[in-house]
Amino acid sequence: MNKFYHDNGPHIKSPYNTSKMMKHLIIALFPIIIFSVYKNGILPYSRGYGTLLSAFRPLIMILLGMLTSLISETLFIYFVLKIKDKEKLITHLKYSYAIFPGLFLALTIPINTPYSILIVGAMVATIIGKMLFGGFGFNIFNPALVGNLFIISAYYSNIAIQGGYLNKLELDTITQATPLTNLQNLNYIDTYQNIVTPFGNLWNFLTGMIPGTIGETSAILCLLGLIYLLFTKVITWHIPIIYLATVFILTSFIGYYHDLGIWYPLFHLLSGGLIFGAIFMATDPVTSPTTPIGQAIYALGLGFLTVIFRFLTSYPEGVLTAILTMNMFVFIIDKLGVKVRFNLKKLSIPLAILILIIGTTTYYVATNINKKVTDQNFNVIDVTEIDNQVIYTVTHKAYHGLIKAKIEIDDNTGKITTIDILEQNEYVWNQIEEHNYIDKLIQQQHNLDDLDTISGATYTANYLKQMVIKTLKEYSQNR
Amino acid sequence: MKDLVKGIINENPVFVLMLGICPTLAVTTTVENAIVMGLSLMFVLIFSNFLVSLIKNFVPEQIKIPTYILIIATFVTMVELLLKAYVKDLYDTLGIYIPLIVVNCIILGRALGFASKEKVFSSILDGIGFGLGFTLSLIVLSAMREIFGNNTITIMDSLTKITGYQMIYKVLPNNNIFPINILLKPAGALLSLGLLTAFFNSIRLRKEDNQ
Repeated sequence: MNKFYHDNGPHIKSPYNTSKMMKHLIIALFPIIIFSVYKNGILPYSRGYGTLLSAFRPLIMILLGMLTSLISETLFIYFVLKIKDKEKLITHLKYSYAIFPGLFLALTIPINTPYSILIVGAMVATIIGKMLFGGFGFNIFNPALVGNLFIISAYYSNIAIQGGYLNKLELDTITQATPLTNLQNLNYIDTYQNIVTPFGNLWNFLTGMIPGTIGETSAILCLLGLIYLLFTKVITWHIPIIYLATVFILTSFIGYYHDLGIWYPLFHLLSGGLIFGAIFMATDPVTSPTTPIGQAIYALGLGFLTVIFRFLTSYPEGVLTAILTMNMFVFIIDKLGVKVRFNLKKLSIPLAILILIIGTTTYYVATNINKKVTDQNFNVIDVTEIDNQVIYTVTHKAYHGLIKAKIEIDDNTGKITTIDILEQNEYVWNQIEEHNYIDKLIQQQHNLDDLDTISGATYTANYLKQMVIKTLKEYSQNR
Repeated sequence: MKDLVKGIINENPVFVLMLGICPTLAVTTTVENAIVMGLSLMFVLIFSNFLVSLIKNFVPEQIKIPTYILIIATFVTMVELLLKAYVKDLYDTLGIYIPLIVVNCIILGRALGFASKEKVFSSILDGIGFGLGFTLSLIVLSAMREIFGNNTITIMDSLTKITGYQMIYKVLPNNNIFPINILLKPAGALLSLGLLTAFFNSIRLRKEDNQ
């Protein structure tokens, strides 16, 4: 007597079974795939870049990813789970949607990824990300993102040699990499001309004519897919809308703090894989919470982590890591969501704490990024110019107190002519004078790194050297 | 005989008991490191088991652990000084993980759980067994990480000073897929440990099912 019926999640009761959901998902992805074939393959080919085979490279990559996923899952079921009956095997494959890890993986990697690396990534995504956890319905992490993380962290240098994210046409016309890498190189806060103009205008970001991975660039087609998925009730609005809104609000706060216009949050929203990830990755039914409240908390966390990862880590893109991190908390969020389902008051204190954390951290990010690093040891007190002579009065920390010096630089040659020490309290100053160290500094000013220090006055000599180096740097920055 | 074998297969300290994971993850970047680390731990384990078993009737219950720590620390200091004297390079590579053998759970676990109750001879056999088990696990893990992560197997590099000849083999030619550099990083250590544990446990459990 079986009281409970055992089946893989999700356990949503609706006229839409998982098989229909997946069909709708493929339909929603279809325009994106066609656009990526046009943008990354046919457009460069029509302008005379690459061969006919490279024109269909995106399509080949997507098909290869799907095929690899399917084959590796079949092999895993056959050899490890030991299901050798042909009919059972086919049923098993039909209900585990084997092609999806490879499909999404191919859509989220750079166009120049070699085929062999794609195959390895799709195998890692299917076997480590999905089958080792127990197959469809049991995987904790989004399989495609596991494969993506593996490819990016293990092979990014190989991909970068081939051209990274830029397709053949963009390699010729655009000097920067992706918009987000460009943003990171600019230290996050800069003008519209520097951040957006290298890629055209924001309209290009909306249509997707910017560098990026195969499937993520076209925001408008992703939004079209969102409308289709909402209309067919495959997903609910909670995760994508709250996720995008959180990122928009947090980045507009950061932009507002630095007096940037509305384009700054829009840039963040439209660049990278944010919209694609929010619509197709974060809403994966297996690895996202099931209750609406849980989904709201999940989406809030995703938005927060994306902003944090974008601004504070060395990786320009934060969507992938944010989704993988939040996947770990889905179990807890689901428990919480069921608990507070009929009693929203219980949620008020955790939610208040969460919003407080998000608020303070964002404030920290806004106030601390893009600050010029000031040197505590070195200070320029005065700069005067007297006919072709620039005279710097500087202080530098030394072994005992400060050294104050007047350094004269010839404006025609850019070289130091004299160094006058105005004040010093060093114990071993006689050593410096004995070795004529100041004269040596002036003589070797073009190659100070190779200048030896004086034994017996190592620290003092080193501080003097640093002072001269920093003064020269200051001079070259301002001229 | 049973005392010797159980440490290698059925109660393998790394893949079954999950003990001593910290040095396992940290030093297994080359096979050479793994061998030296495993042998050092085996040396300490055999002698501490021997001494602990020898004095088991004289040690009061209350100061058991301090006494054992003292014994273990003595042998660890010996290993540390020997390594420092003869293979300075390896000593620098292994770094803090040699002194940390003192608090390694395998050694204290065997001293408390086995040697303080059993006869001297079987304690020595137990020490050899567990030491071999640890060393072999480390070699397997490091071989996997080094072959796939660096395309080489290094058996003697820093040890050349003592043995007189070098043994570094190139396994695969460099290509698009190998080396997978991530395997030499901490994340790769956890990944390979997890995969190997799953592999060995599936074999072990299947055997148990068949019996």
